[in-house]
Formats: sequence, C-alpha cells, structure tokens
Amino acid sequence: MKSIFALLLMCFSTLSFAVEQAEEIFKQLAPSLYQIRLIDKASGEKSSIGSGFQISSDGLIATNYHVISGFARHPHKYTIEYLDNKGNKAELTLKSVDVINDLAIVQREVPNEMAFFEIAQQPPTKGEELYSLGNPHDLGMIVVPGTYNGLKNESFNDRIHFTGSVNSGMSGGPVVNKATQVVGINVATSGNQIGFLVPHDKLLALYQQYQESPPTSIEQQMAAQLMQNQEKLITTIMNSDWQLKQLGRGLIPTIDVPFVRCWGESNSDKADAQIMAAVANCDLDENTYISADFFTGSLEMEYRYMESDKIGSTKFYHIFERQLNQVAPGNLAGKDDVTEYQCHHDLVMPQTSNINNKAVFCTRAYKDFPELYDVLYIAISIDHEQYALLSHFTIAGVAQETSLAFLAKFMESVSWK
Amino acid sequence: MEIIIEEISHGHKLLSRQKFASNTITIGRGYDNDIIVSDPHVCPEHLQLQFNGEHWLVNDQGSINGSFLEGSKENVIQHKVSSGDIISIGKSQVRFVFPSHPVAESIAISPFESLINLARHPVVLALSMTLFAFIGGWIINLNNANEVSLTQMLVPTIGLTLGFALWPAGIALVSHLTKHDARFWTQMGISFIFFNLMWLSDIFENIVHFNTSSNFSMLWLLTIIPLLLAFGLFWLNCYVGFHMTLRRRNVVASCLILLLFGGSFIIQMSKQPDFNPRPQFDTTIMSPAFIFAPSSNVETFVNDASKLFDKATESAKEDSKE
Repeated sequence: MKSIFALLLMCFSTLSFAVEQAEEIFKQLAPSLYQIRLIDKASGEKSSIGSGFQISSDGLIATNYHVISGFARHPHKYTIEYLDNKGNKAELTLKSVDVINDLAIVQREVPNEMAFFEIAQQPPTKGEELYSLGNPHDLGMIVVPGTYNGLKNESFNDRIHFTGSVNSGMSGGPVVNKATQVVGINVATSGNQIGFLVPHDKLLALYQQYQESPPTSIEQQMAAQLMQNQEKLITTIMNSDWQLKQLGRGLIPTIDVPFVRCWGESNSDKADAQIMAAVANCDLDENTYISADFFTGSLEMEYRYMESDKIGSTKFYHIFERQLNQVAPGNLAGKDDVTEYQCHHDLVMPQTSNINNKAVFCTRAYKDFPELYDVLYIAISIDHEQYALLSHFTIAGVAQETSLAFLAKFMESVSWK
Repeated sequence: MEIIIEEISHGHKLLSRQKFASNTITIGRGYDNDIIVSDPHVCPEHLQLQFNGEHWLVNDQGSINGSFLEGSKENVIQHKVSSGDIISIGKSQVRFVFPSHPVAESIAISPFESLINLARHPVVLALSMTLFAFIGGWIINLNNANEVSLTQMLVPTIGLTLGFALWPAGIALVSHLTKHDARFWTQMGISFIFFNLMWLSDIFENIVHFNTSSNFSMLWLLTIIPLLLAFGLFWLNCYVGFHMTLRRRNVVASCLILLLFGGSFIIQMSKQPDFNPRPQFDTTIMSPAFIFAPSSNVETFVNDASKLFDKATESAKEDSKE
C-alpha cells in the first residue's frame, strides 16, 4: 500500500515538474512566437489562422504552407498578417515555400535584431520529451508537452510521430526540445494524442536554400517541387518489388513499400449473394495539400474480382458495367485547378499475359503547374463468362513519362492465374 | 341541268352530298326545304338556287346572318354559280358542283398497302407484341441486380407494353377525331414492329460500342439508325392514319423527329454541368460472346494514351486564355 502511494506521488511530482518546465519554455520563447493570419482583403476579416515562429534575427518566420496557401494561390485576394504576444499586428511577405513538406517562410520587418528559435542539428531520440507550441482555436498561445516517437513508418515524405495533442490552429507552430531547439513543426493530427510534425531538417534545407537563392516566383517553385516529388515517388515505386497476389482467379500486383498500404474486403460470408465479390485496394497514405479544394500527390490502386454461377453472362457483365459509371478521380480538384478528363478506351490484351481487358485511360492537365497531370486507368476483363477482374489506379500530379511507364507496368502485371 | 350540292365542314370535309335534277332548290332550316340544315344560325328560308336555262343563280332569301361566297364579304344576290363554289350560310358551308366537274386521277392500291395490312394480321401482331414484352422483361431483369422471379417481372413488363401501346392508340384516336379511318390494329402492328426494330438497333449499337476503341471515328453513324427508325415509324403512322400528300407526310415526320430528338438533346445539354470532375468515357461492357474485334497490345494502348496529354495541355491553355 505504501509503495503504491509512493508511486502515485512520484507520478504527480514528474507531472508538475513537466508543467513547470513548459511554463519556463513558454516565457522564454513567447516573443518569437506568432499567430499567422490570412486576411481577406474584401471583407477585412481573417479567413484562417495558424502559428509561426521566427527563425532568424532579421525577421524570417517559419509556418506551414497550408496556413498561407490562400495567399500563395491568390495573392490578390489576401494579405498575411502576424499577431505577436504583445498584440502587435503587421503585414508579412511570402518568401519561399515547400509544398511537399507543407512549409513556408514569411518575413516581417524588424527595427533591430530580435531573438529567434534555433533549429536543432540532430533529430531527437525516441521517447524524448518535446514541447509543441501554438495557437489552437484562437485561444492564445499554449504549450503542449509530448513525446517523440520516431518517424512515421508509412510515410513517403518523412513525418515525425509525436504523442501529444496537436490541434488545428497549432499548425505551423514549433516543437522544441528541452534546449529550446526546434526539432519539428506541427502539421497534422489524427486525434487521440497522435500528432504529426515536419522534421527540422526539411525546414533547415528550405532556409538554407532560401539564403542561397530565393525563388523568383512561388508558383514556379511549387511546380518544380511537385515535379521533383512525383519523379522521386514514381521512380521509387517502379524500382520497388511488385508482388503478385492472388485475388479470385486473378493475379494482381501490390507494391512492397511501407508507404503504400493495402486493404481487403469480400462478401464470402453471404452465402445467398448472387455474385461473389472480393476487393483489394492499396493507396499512398498521404497527399499534397495545394489549397482547401485542391489536393495532389495521391496514388491508389484497386482490384475487384467478381464471380457468379447464379446469373447469366449478359446480366453479370451488365452489373459490372455499372461499376464503371462510378469511377471518380482520386483527388479533389476544381475547375480553376484542372481541365476536364480526356479519355481513351480500347480492348487490350498484353502480349505477356493471358487476360483480355476493356481498358480506359483518362488524364487531365493542371492549369497552373505545366506538365503535371492527374491520370486514371480502369480495366475490366472480358474473356470469361462467369468471372471477371477489375483493375484500376489513379495517380495525381504526375508527368506524362512517369505515368505512362507506370501504366505499362501495371497493365502487364495484371493477369489470370 | 343537274347540280350536286355538298354540305361540308370548315376543314372542307364532306358531311353529305345530294344530286338534284329540278330547276329550283331551296336550302334552309325549315322542313319544307330541299336541303335541311340543322345549324341554328341558318334561317328557315335561307338560300335559293334557280336554273335560268343557261346558268344556275343563287340568292340569299333575306336571312339574318347572310350568305357569302368563300373569300368574299358581300351577301350573295343573283350570283352566277360556277362549279366548285363554296357558300357559307350561318356557321355551315355548302359546295356546288356540276356533273362535269373534274375528279383526281385514280390511285392504284399499292403492294405497300398490303404489306402494311400484314402488320395487323393477328398472328404478326401477337408475335411482335410478345417479342416486345419478352425483350422488355429481359431488360428489366438485367437492370435489377437482385434475383427477379417471373411473377415479379410480369407486372412491370405488362405495364411497359401497355405504356408503349399508348402511342399507336393515341394516333388512332387522333385520326378518328379528325374524321379519318382510325385503323387501330394497323397502327398497333406497325408501331410494335418498329419498337422491336429500335431495340434491336440498340443491341447492335451496344455491340459496336463494345468492340470499337475511341480511335474509331465513324461512331456518329450509329446515331443515325434510331433517327431513321423513328422517321419510318412516324411516316407510316401518318400514312395509315391520315390522308395527306407525300410532302406533307415527310414534313410531319421530320418535325416529330426534330421535336423528340432535338428536345431531348436540349434537355441533356441544359443538364450538363459547367465543369465535370468525373471522367466521361464509353462504359459498354458485354459478355465475351459479343467480342468480334481483335485486342490491341499494351504498347499501342500506351501510345494512344500518350496523345491524350497533348489534348489536355491544349485545353488547359485554352482555358487560361479565357
């Protein structure tokens, strides 16, 4: 009994110690911490808020790209403003972005040199206590203690897994270690004490690149980053191991990399179903935010096997045909961002395999980022009376070369067992 | 001299016809007249015709509403009748014709007519309606993802058949109302034969869509088939139901086509959203039994697909110009 009491006491004391330490950190760093607001020029009101922190003595402030994305996409509609811990407001200028890692650098005017956050040189160690700073729900600056849990396994572009409650308004706020060095930037949450951070080295790289050669145009910078990222992603996927898995009587490719995750479902428990169906789909567990209604960088593959000995061949394919009508793009994009889809369809039988498909390929172009496209492919096998295999993929934000290389490899990988 | 007097409707349709050999003929509502007209706007003694040995003269008998030669507003007094004259009395019309009046050339009964009559033969009619119901039921079954029992299918199938029977019934009613021969069963026979042909053309169209790639540029030809079939149906509906000249029949059938297809085209266009985020492509999938075309290989497909990128880039450029 005594020991339990002692244990409880110990827990309590470490907790209060952590709170004290958090307060200390907050006091020290508060002047270099900002609320970043996007002000809609027409209404004069703020349209979104986030956090930011100063990273140089001459007034460079780091934040998330998605906090200022409205300005990056429509510079005439918005202005960016900061609000410091004393309640001062002034306008900011956008200097550089990293759309892939969701980072942006903005600048305020400073009369004389100011204190700033130092960026860490080393990544934290697993289990290390970290402090996330930010401004959730417009309630004022707060400190949230949490733990470093290493890099997120399933992510293509590195993200830190942080155990602590990162809220939406804390986006762009720094996460510091006990030495008050920035080890990450708040970027996302999946609720329940799971937060994600952009690692410090991404910010360091962006900062150094900015000092060497500041970008001439934010739009061109974004286009180049998107182009480079898709190249890296598709090359990695093409060079990875494509494992053939069995789905019904078909063989389907899945990609053996941690950042592409697969799920499956079937109706084999329903004995009276007219059609036996099994579905497998794999997707990239992340995408790139460009604006609230425009996402890119996603990849998904879906396979659907259907078999029936209860209904006639004509009805079977008629039901399958309806699934073709449900095809939708994998990413959200609107009229201002992309063109309408252009499609091509044909009967295709790969020379290397034994499957005859009706195949459709569609693409739409990005209006602001030249030579980037969304692509979509769907094929249904049409060579057996009572069973068929649907294979489908969508990739958002790819170049022509890479997407066609992927298309060829994908088509040649799907076959009958 | 003999004279023929016809009572006609406003549309110049014949209501009754009489031939007279006497030299004086009276027309009016009174029962002592030679021609008794029951129109309340006609006076008991309204019109009188008299042969003076050389000509027929027509006289209004001082009626309340007068008598007028067609196209004129002057009351008829001592008017010299020529063959084919039409005179309005009250709200009725009479036409005077002499025995020497020329008639149109006789029309031979064409073998076409007997072909049309074949459509109303009970066996043919029953066959085409059964075929229609059968295909209808089959399509209802296809569109239903669940298992459909025969009794479940019966009601919608009968409903569909009756619904389609409304068209020939409607035409027959209109021709009956316009004082033509209704010929209901002929209309039914013809219409159901054409409904079946339309369904067959639909299936044919699906097969072509299924077998061709988007490289096939003659696909628009397929849209002509239903147009031609519908034209044929409307043309025959007119031929059977109404006496009209060939030119008029063509015009009526063309107008119906324009109304039907043009209307549905406009409705479709008005529903088209400003921007469609979903891809649009030919989705026709059929059972392997309907494949007649050879398949392409991956290389050809990828090659064709690569052309889409230029098209998309082009449309992006066009949009940014606007």
